[in-house]
Amino acid sequence: MTDHSRDVAIVAVSQTPAYGAFAGPEPVLIMRCVNDLLSRTGLERHDIDFTLAGSCDYLSGAPFAFVMNIDGVGAWPPVYESHVEMDGAWALFEAWIRLQLGDIDVALVIGSGRSSPGNNREIFALQGDPYLSAPLGLDPASMAGVQARTLLDANIATEADFAAVVERSWKAAADNPNALVRRSDTADQLLNQPHYAAPLRAHDVAPVADGAAALLIVAGDRARELCERPVWIQGIEHRIESHHPGYRDLTDSPSTRTAAAKAGADGTFDVAELMVTHSHEEIIMRRALGLTDDTVVNPSGGPLGGHPVMATGLVRVIEVASRIADGSAQRGLAHASSGACLQQNLICVLQGDD
Amino acid sequence: MARPCAVIGTGQTDYRKKLDLTLDGLVRWAAIEALEDAGMTFADVDAIVIGKAPDALEGVVMPELSLADALGAVGKPIHRVHTAGSVGAATAITGTTMVESGRYDRVLVVCYEKQSEGNATWALSGGKSGGQGAGGTFAPWIRSYIERSGAPEDIGWKVAVKDRRNALRNPHAHLRIQDISIEKVRDSPMLWDPLHFLESCPSSDGAAAVVLASEDVARKSPGKPAWVIAHAKRTEFGQFPGRDAVRPQAGVDCSTVLYQEAGITDPRGQIDCAEIYVPFSWYEPMWLEGLLLAPINEGWHMTDNGDTEITGSFPVNASGGVLSSNPIGASGLIRCLEAANQVRERGGDYQVDGARVALGHAYGGAAQYFAMWIVSSDLQPAYR
Amino acid sequence: MLPDVDLLLEYPYTRTTGPVLGQFLTGLRDGHLLGIRNGDEVLCPPLEYDPETAKGLDPVLVEVATEGTVTSWTWVADPTSTHPFDHPFAFALVLLDGTAHPMAHAVDAGSIDEMSTGMRVAIQFHEERTGSITDFHFVPLGRVHVRDSGDGADGAEPVTTIVQLISLNYHEPLHAHRARFAQGLLDGRFIGQRSPASGKVYVPGRGYDPLERVEMGEDDELTVADRGTVTSFTVITPIDYYCQKETKPYIRASILLDGSDSPLISVDIRNLEESDIRVGLRLQAVWRPAGERDLTGIDNRSVPLEGVIERWDPTGEPDADANKLREFTQ
Repeated sequence: MTDHSRDVAIVAVSQTPAYGAFAGPEPVLIMRCVNDLLSRTGLERHDIDFTLAGSCDYLSGAPFAFVMNIDGVGAWPPVYESHVEMDGAWALFEAWIRLQLGDIDVALVIGSGRSSPGNNREIFALQGDPYLSAPLGLDPASMAGVQARTLLDANIATEADFAAVVERSWKAAADNPNALVRRSDTADQLLNQPHYAAPLRAHDVAPVADGAAALLIVAGDRARELCERPVWIQGIEHRIESHHPGYRDLTDSPSTRTAAAKAGADGTFDVAELMVTHSHEEIIMRRALGLTDDTVVNPSGGPLGGHPVMATGLVRVIEVASRIADGSAQRGLAHASSGACLQQNLICVLQGDD
Repeated sequence: MARPCAVIGTGQTDYRKKLDLTLDGLVRWAAIEALEDAGMTFADVDAIVIGKAPDALEGVVMPELSLADALGAVGKPIHRVHTAGSVGAATAITGTTMVESGRYDRVLVVCYEKQSEGNATWALSGGKSGGQGAGGTFAPWIRSYIERSGAPEDIGWKVAVKDRRNALRNPHAHLRIQDISIEKVRDSPMLWDPLHFLESCPSSDGAAAVVLASEDVARKSPGKPAWVIAHAKRTEFGQFPGRDAVRPQAGVDCSTVLYQEAGITDPRGQIDCAEIYVPFSWYEPMWLEGLLLAPINEGWHMTDNGDTEITGSFPVNASGGVLSSNPIGASGLIRCLEAANQVRERGGDYQVDGARVALGHAYGGAAQYFAMWIVSSDLQPAYR
Repeated sequence: MLPDVDLLLEYPYTRTTGPVLGQFLTGLRDGHLLGIRNGDEVLCPPLEYDPETAKGLDPVLVEVATEGTVTSWTWVADPTSTHPFDHPFAFALVLLDGTAHPMAHAVDAGSIDEMSTGMRVAIQFHEERTGSITDFHFVPLGRVHVRDSGDGADGAEPVTTIVQLISLNYHEPLHAHRARFAQGLLDGRFIGQRSPASGKVYVPGRGYDPLERVEMGEDDELTVADRGTVTSFTVITPIDYYCQKETKPYIRASILLDGSDSPLISVDIRNLEESDIRVGLRLQAVWRPAGERDLTGIDNRSVPLEGVIERWDPTGEPDADANKLREFTQ
């Protein structure tokens, strides 16, 4: 494998709030982000060479639901676009790959979903092996509980550590206008709550939300023309692990380590946004990435403050990029995840101009 | 900056109504055959891309997760594409860009559908009663095409017969109607006027796979590579005031940019054969026009003249096409794969003589998603 | 206030099981637990391939012990409808004696206090078995009752197919613009949305104009005529599928209402014969009586009109020019 040859930067980002229930169609969420990006950059729709969106038909309960989402993007005259049935972070991965070819310069990346109509726990139980797991209704929250216990049994973490993650996340979310959760419980208060998927409690599970996120990536010098402080994508890569939890060391995330190495995630980071959809995952991710106290983790509150499914991973990228763009950070790492127990992980390394 | 990319291995399951395999077994059949063709094993693969139509066709959410082990993806990137019926070709294009980007040298692309697990019309209907099915959507546009072009009614029957005859030469094909004839098509039940039962695609189980490789890897591969000369995708809304659904602009734009990228100035003369996504008979002449291979309203003459027969001047769907096998999510990849096999001289009993440049095409949604590629036996084809 | 929308997305998926899982599930039905050899290891449940190299495994299955050790677990305090129990239970990873990797399954332990990592559990086969991973669950060792000998189904045909009924409920309010459209139907009128950018009228409105990418709201709404022109039609021969209620052919038409720029699509027409309908035909909606209009089936995606429109009658006007309707062939 060779390294990438073309510098690509994020020049503008946009996200809707994480709504408990958004009272409108998903294309409106997307449209708001797209129009926001265009007005921020002064670009017209026809200036965008390529669009890539991530969403999940099952969230809204309609096969081919993604087709309607193009309404929010605009597809007349015809556009060059594609769709991944994955979090928007994977759309970013493919769009970044596409810009490496050199013939086009500007790509729009979108992640969106409306979780409010459905039962998230039942829908995502259908990610499980259709013969051995899905018939049991084995859902991601229960799997997370199984994984969290491996941390307790290995003396890597305690339930108080899980509560501390939530306390810190909620405290950070209080300053995030897009967050869903507005609570400020202390860790002690949280530990008094009943278990939900023991050893996890309800607050250890990220609250699902409706929302969309989008960003524009631009290659080379055009990025500098379009914004004062482009956020360069130094590397982006993803890896998957076995689907079968019994074949994995659940206390660790080797796929994260490999993806991070391939994405050039060495050295230090001012900020990291991790897709922690269950509190214990932050502990696994910090260890796998070797993050120290020098790195501020999830200053947005992270998914525990609001989890717009299918946009959540892309929001991590946006939160890091925003901090680099406003100069409060120089180098950052964004993480996205898919599947139960952090089965699949994507790492994106972002950096501002010196 | 884009590097060359080639197809160096292809694999296909048989296409059948109800293959007795797990989804794991289904995708592995195609993947392992493609890897063997490329002289590789799972261990050699840098990245995997899978594509299929909606998850609800099999009731498995984000199947890249549960198929990761089966496809040897553990420790590797696996990516999932979903662009409705065009997804097979779109997935091939995503895999191609992964190689062209310089990031990966060997990419395994796998697409599948196991239609027998669920029901496509149920899915197209959003799980509700009263679905009109794909045929119900396309039939008015076909009637409109017939009115505009003045094509005789037997054109659709001729396409249906030609593709089913071709299928008899393809060991993987689903429909094998030995006594197929114009009369048999004409006399089959009318499903959506003017489409008869035998002018419609079947519901198939199946998977297809290709191994895509960088130039270095391709030059060392055991077989003959099919170089991906160009690829393009275009999308438009499925419904809006002012739309021409018979000749969607997105398809025209897609073809135009595809030929431009390939350096093709006379597609009809410079492309040797095509695998075009024709799920209903009349889409052969409609797409011949939409692909700029025939003037507006004259595509049906190519069918009528026999130009699109295997032995004709512009063979279309020598494999039997979607009309003979339709594992939806794989069907677009099969078009791309069959085009590659033609220029690799791997067409078997349906090899088109002297095929050096071939077109693979797929469309989806309300004829609104288009994905295409041009493959050639030569990295820099000298067009006639 | 109009009622919320409930959508049931339900399908009984039929899954072929292939050579390896078919044997495994046949074993379960017959009261045996089977695994597959992978070198020196035994994998249970069996996989068709080595999970590390993806190399295929010889599809010969071997009997596996029905006792094992919990390596990790969670307690499901509030089961969902798709869980195997309606009372609290554990999901656990259980390493069966003699196997190489733990399997994920349910433990019916009665109380969370009974659960611990390292505890011994055993398989409790269910009396009714069909050849499914749900044919058994685990219980704390010593609590197995009525140990089934498995004689019951031995010798029956091997399991080659399993059925998984997936049944998901979706519940949401009608979006505001859709609720106003639906209220309009109850009132006997079609409400459209006029794009503030282009002036084009959409019926029903989507809450936005996709061509101009602007949102549309109540201020953009207007009533359009309840008569219009057929721009496209198709005769549906119903295909039988799960939840399909239609059995006889009927017409689906696109109707461009006067004053609208976007046809109503997929309008059911039951009062006309195929020979009566053509592009350009002028039709008048005949509303059901005000008290009998029913919004059943109208949701945020589709607007079946059969509950509010009794039939579409030809107006007797001359046909509209079909050539001018091409852009509405939708």
